[in-house]
Amino acid sequence: MSASHDDHAADDHHEGPKVLSVSTTHPRVRTIAVVRPTAQEANFLAATAKGLAITLKHFARNFFLPMKKAEDRAKAGAPDDAKWRNEIETVQYPEEKVVYPERFRGLHRLMLRDDGAVRCVACMCCPTACPAHCITIVPEESDSNSIEKRPAIFEIDELRCIACGLCVEACPCDAIRMDTGDHAKPVEDRAMAIETKESMMARGLRSIAVQGGEGPNWRDGGGGHDPGH
Amino acid sequence: MSILLAILDFPATKWAILVLGMVMPLASLLTWAERRQSAMMQDRLGPNRANIGPIKLKGILHFVADAVKMIFKEDFIPANVHRGLFALAPVLALAPVLIAFAIIPFGPTIMPHHLTTVVNTYQQSVDPGAFIYSDAIRLQVFAVDFGLIFYFAVLTLANYGGTIAGWASYNKWALLGGLRSSSQMMSYEVAMGLALMGAFLVTGSLEPGAIVAGGASASMSPANPVNWLWLWQPVGLVLFFTAAIAETKRAPFDIPEGEPEIIGYFVEYSGIRWGMFFLAEFIEIVFISAVIATVFFGGYQFPFLDPDGFRFGGSIDPVTHLSSGSFIPLAHGLVVLLQIAAFGGKTILLAMFQLFVRWTLPRFRADQLMNLGWKLLLPLALANIMVTALIKLLFM
Repeated sequence: MSASHDDHAADDHHEGPKVLSVSTTHPRVRTIAVVRPTAQEANFLAATAKGLAITLKHFARNFFLPMKKAEDRAKAGAPDDAKWRNEIETVQYPEEKVVYPERFRGLHRLMLRDDGAVRCVACMCCPTACPAHCITIVPEESDSNSIEKRPAIFEIDELRCIACGLCVEACPCDAIRMDTGDHAKPVEDRAMAIETKESMMARGLRSIAVQGGEGPNWRDGGGGHDPGH
Repeated sequence: MSILLAILDFPATKWAILVLGMVMPLASLLTWAERRQSAMMQDRLGPNRANIGPIKLKGILHFVADAVKMIFKEDFIPANVHRGLFALAPVLALAPVLIAFAIIPFGPTIMPHHLTTVVNTYQQSVDPGAFIYSDAIRLQVFAVDFGLIFYFAVLTLANYGGTIAGWASYNKWALLGGLRSSSQMMSYEVAMGLALMGAFLVTGSLEPGAIVAGGASASMSPANPVNWLWLWQPVGLVLFFTAAIAETKRAPFDIPEGEPEIIGYFVEYSGIRWGMFFLAEFIEIVFISAVIATVFFGGYQFPFLDPDGFRFGGSIDPVTHLSSGSFIPLAHGLVVLLQIAAFGGKTILLAMFQLFVRWTLPRFRADQLMNLGWKLLLPLALANIMVTALIKLLFM
């Protein structure tokens, strides 16, 4: 069974060696045409010269022509004046940086209310969602009548953070974001890798999402935001 | 004054000047140049950051950083190594290459009392004992008739460095590397020596100084590029170059090293001992370049620069000392400087070419290497000798 299957497979196989003759007594013993390299293929010198020409061309171009502009290097595709530029792709970090994609999940930031206060209401959704347990929130009573809580301490250990973005997904009031386009900086001390409320608010912006809590209450028939509809 | 000149003419002084002033800096710079050049061949930038304060020099200082790092790294000696041989091996790898430099003529004969005036070759041939020609310094440490044979003999010793390192390291991979380096040396030494025999037949000398001073044909100035052996021994040049790259144990013939599989005979070495193997490799590159420049590319001869100045489209008659063609006289001192610079330039260009080969070709398999050495290079070298001898017999 298996032998016939093998024979069948060999017959169907088109790229195998060319069979010159098959033995009559042992059908699987056959004479095949051996493909030897031609003189041109076996000749190292021609191939060597060709390879040297390629590397020499690259070297000469990269040695004599000026560098591509930094912005051209950072994006894909050849620049307009590519003909008179070399082909070096090295980006000289940290002097020049490639801009991260728009949806890159970078360092966290805490968004701000219109009055500059932190937007977070210490609902504890993000530390609950966080699979790495890197978020520490200590809530406190808010001064405002309409906002119940705010974070007294909001810390994220960037060494623990796995940049999964679940905290941003979990946040009901657009208080935490990871859209800074920057990544966690290298630090010399583990303690320096902990982002505090202040440091994350320093990167924060005023959110354009509708702000809950402040303003006339919907129960009073005012124009407040009703999350239920 | 003449005592100072005698000290300068002392072989050890010349050797020290050559090795410390020319070879070592060149080999050190090559470690940086190799990385930069390979980067540029691969559309990268290469190391360009090492600096002393604001002095950056495109990263040339990387070789200083490397040296400092290697000197201060821990000199780790594994258990069970043969301590004596382990310590001896790097020296055995480095010393023969430095010794072999003795045969290379790295400049013309300097006549210290003649530096500011133009050499009169006729006057010199008539009265060679005059004061102005005295205290001459020959810029070749060891000028003997068996010069190239000496080089083969001494450089073969360098191979013991690798083999002994592999043996002393008490490591299977290191031993494999050492064995490979021996077997590779055997398949190449023969073809390498025979490739130079053609040059020997053409010039009638094995003394590098005489080859440079004479050129291929006596009817032309030795400074004429047509008179250099690259045009007379093209097959010998290609064969010798191939075998010489195998001698340096670098890609495409880096089988003893074999980084992806056995790492090589120096796998157990660290710090400055490893640095000595590394440096020996680069000094070998410089040496091979110097030999090829000397034998095939006219050594220190600057194109069309005779001892008394530039002479285009003509030559000086050996009997009447009357020159033909246009002539621009040049003081002896300037001629010397130009000729030493020419030797350095040729050596650097040939070393760069070796780097090109190293970063272009993939590694040969061991059997391919043996095939190439025994079945291609050796017969071609023999044929080259035969053809050269026949041509010399029939036409010269």
